[in-house]
Amino acid sequence: MRLSCRLGAVTGAFQLVALIACSASAAAQQTPAASASPPGDINPPVANCNLTPDTNAGAKPPPPKVVATPVTAELLTSGQPCHQVVSTAGLVANDPLANLQRGFDFYSWLTFIALNAPADGKRIGQGPRPGGDATTKWEDLASYRPLADVMLAHGAAPTWGTRIVPETCKSLDGPGKIILTLGEEAFNQPFKSGPLIDQDGNYALFDILMNRPMFDYILENKLYSVPGQASFSEVIAFPEGNNPAGADPGRMGAVMVKVSWRILDPARDRDLISQFHTADALIFFPGPPATKTGPTCVEKKLGLVGFHVGHKTKFAPQWVWSSFEHVSNAPDQADVASRKLLTRYNFFNPACKTCAVNDTPQAPPPWDPDASLKFHTGYRSQVTRVNMLPPPVIAEVAELNRQFRAVLKGTVWEHYMLLATQWPTDFKSLTDPTGRPAPTYLANTTLETYSQGRVPLASSSCMACHNNATTRHVPAQSSDFTFILEKAQ
Amino acid sequence: MTIFTRRNVLAGAAVAAATAAHPGTATAADETKDLDAFVALSSALTGIAAAMLAPAVDPVQIKKQYFDAAKSSPSFDRLLQIFRDNATKPPEAIADVILNQSGSDVRYLGRSIMLAWYLGAWYKPETLAQYNSPKAPAGSPPADRVISPAAYTQGWTWRVAQAHPMGYSELRFGYWSEPPLPLVDFTGA
Repeated sequence: MRLSCRLGAVTGAFQLVALIACSASAAAQQTPAASASPPGDINPPVANCNLTPDTNAGAKPPPPKVVATPVTAELLTSGQPCHQVVSTAGLVANDPLANLQRGFDFYSWLTFIALNAPADGKRIGQGPRPGGDATTKWEDLASYRPLADVMLAHGAAPTWGTRIVPETCKSLDGPGKIILTLGEEAFNQPFKSGPLIDQDGNYALFDILMNRPMFDYILENKLYSVPGQASFSEVIAFPEGNNPAGADPGRMGAVMVKVSWRILDPARDRDLISQFHTADALIFFPGPPATKTGPTCVEKKLGLVGFHVGHKTKFAPQWVWSSFEHVSNAPDQADVASRKLLTRYNFFNPACKTCAVNDTPQAPPPWDPDASLKFHTGYRSQVTRVNMLPPPVIAEVAELNRQFRAVLKGTVWEHYMLLATQWPTDFKSLTDPTGRPAPTYLANTTLETYSQGRVPLASSSCMACHNNATTRHVPAQSSDFTFILEKAQ
Repeated sequence: MTIFTRRNVLAGAAVAAATAAHPGTATAADETKDLDAFVALSSALTGIAAAMLAPAVDPVQIKKQYFDAAKSSPSFDRLLQIFRDNATKPPEAIADVILNQSGSDVRYLGRSIMLAWYLGAWYKPETLAQYNSPKAPAGSPPADRVISPAAYTQGWTWRVAQAHPMGYSELRFGYWSEPPLPLVDFTGA
């Protein structure tokens, strides 16, 4: 399909937006550009950045009326954005913040659709499993690599695309299985604030993955090891995504994904499974010091409950942060107050009136799981979604969710929703390296359960938190908004 | 006659008491206009560009919190009208009209607004007046309240000092080992 588009740039203290008219063909899937990238180009050109804007506001000549881009099945094959296409103009008169936010949220949905499309190139929701589920792009080693396969023991150099099967997992291995290596970050929330326990008493599990430009930057600069970090004397700057502009081709830039899973019982949860993207996983316990248990390996069916994307782009060097989650994770606080509740949630018991809400396990640490992956007491997390977004953002996101979920109806993906997108409103600020993020706070009930709220520095903000990330090497240096480098050995 | 400047307002001296003039009921459109006028008069009082106080794309919207605090004063409508009547004058002249030529109620409300922008705290105009009277209590006038957690982080006094509030900084790991950025990076001037 041919689309008119704009490159939106929020620039400097006066927040001007540069609009650069262009048109481009958005093909079905992201593919490398026809021209081969030069050797060593860690951020190679891509042929089909998704340039779809959320409205026609930037069209040339200016349209007589601003209308929203229809959310139709056509968008399901429009590909992954190389960066956001946003504008201060839009559906809301005299409200540049609202129009930019909607543009970023639209970008997030396009990104979600592209990354969760089947790895074999089919359209999202057309996979072979119930609900059109399939192994996704981000689960495919050709496209993404788990953190545990990048930061290797003794600082060994990682390799792209190879599958690492721990010895203890080999007897359980089979086609299509993913391997999730446990470390503290896989069962404990940020700042070791505690594990998340589902209503069946199982630990929620977390994993982090990166795309090839991000991997190659780490590899090329030897940032996968502490000695490599020590010898790196430059400012760490991961490659940026950009849309094609003039003679410059589009490039995807660094993308990292963080996911949260809940454990599903294939028999007992038979009726639930079609509501989740699932993966058959081999959970690897490396043994001390990473896990108290192990080395051992267990097989579990996992259901996706949270999905974060961080994407470094040309006009967002603080990265763009998209947060999605399963619609039945937890109720909003307002839903609890009004008792507008579902019959079941992944992390909330509607029948429990005395459960401590958004509290860490009622048992002293350590909270490390054993091989059962069941919490050792009867504790279950009682999670509610704290209202931390401005009301206009809540309404705008709810409407976008309604439209995109309608297009995904009949697939497992209709059961996921965007929470919001955090982006920098002043990406060039020298005194605020976080770029004055909008919205100020953003938390996912499965990934930042215990830091939801609106307290400066204490409550979850993607950029404010990741702005503190450093290398593992001491003296540490800023690591460009990723904690991944702290895992180097 | 006492000459009121930003310096002695920030030092916290004051005289006299507020007089009444109840704010009227405003429509949403009126409120938007009032908010814009409030930012413009705040710029004249603080010496900081309006675009810095309230960026066009502003996720924090601290201006609304300060506006709401100031609106609680019975002199607010009169202050806005004085500003509108003098809006074409240079900022220093506007500040002079508000702080020195319009009576104590407007004067101390103007000072409260300045303190809100600089400190993120609300000082009641009547408290400022009391502390600048012949029978002033000892010490500095107490703040009525920190306006909000966001206001605590947004105080311009920190930026003017090329610093940050205690317990909160957006600067990156290791910033303390480097000289502060130039003042112009913080204030635009």
